[in-house]
Amino acid sequence: MTGLVALLLCLIMGVISLIATYLAIVERDLLKALLFSAVQSTAYAFIYYSLAAPDIVLVYIPVAVGLYPLLLLIVIKKTERYERP
Amino acid sequence: MMPDMARFVYNSLIVILVFNTAISLYGILARPSLVKKLIALTIFSDSLNSFAILVGYRLCKGFEQPVPPIVTRIPPTQEHISKLIATAVDPLPQALVLTAIVISLAVLAFLAALTLRIYYVSGTTDARSLALMRARAAVEGE
Repeated sequence: MTGLVALLLCLIMGVISLIATYLAIVERDLLKALLFSAVQSTAYAFIYYSLAAPDIVLVYIPVAVGLYPLLLLIVIKKTERYERP
Repeated sequence: MMPDMARFVYNSLIVILVFNTAISLYGILARPSLVKKLIALTIFSDSLNSFAILVGYRLCKGFEQPVPPIVTRIPPTQEHISKLIATAVDPLPQALVLTAIVISLAVLAFLAALTLRIYYVSGTTDARSLALMRARAAVEGE
């Protein structure tokens, strides 16, 4: 039964990552786009976990949810927050 | 029923990752803001890493569930090793992806520093304005 739960988790997280990616690319406010890309990274971490790769999850969560947004947050703070239409 | 379901989830994950790659490629190529290009670049590299993980996954026969490629018993017995070989996923793509994640972090740090430098020099992070300034400078230089 745990196998079925892992498969369903995989599918649901895939759909969530698709929606989050679309919103992150379309959004004009770069801060919101950054948050959507963090949501996408979290969904990818769940996908890796259910694809039997726990060592990737241990590296991926600090890098993709912690360091990527931190770096880009510094860049957004020092430059412009809104993308011009 | 279980292997069919697993195959369905596997195929739909491939479709979802192809869509993610396409959307982020659009973001890299067509979006004007340089920071938005960086965000799309992270999503792009993560999607390609997910493809590598997905290639290393295996669909076991019957009701067997794939396990992580980790020996949980030291010292391992003979039957334990043969059971691990029969059910574990491929560890090679996982090792490669571990390296690729760190490399993409370094590339992102370099590009972020470059974007900051461009902003200090030209006062904008918009790719169209940068192209316009460059054309204007070329015309004035002649």
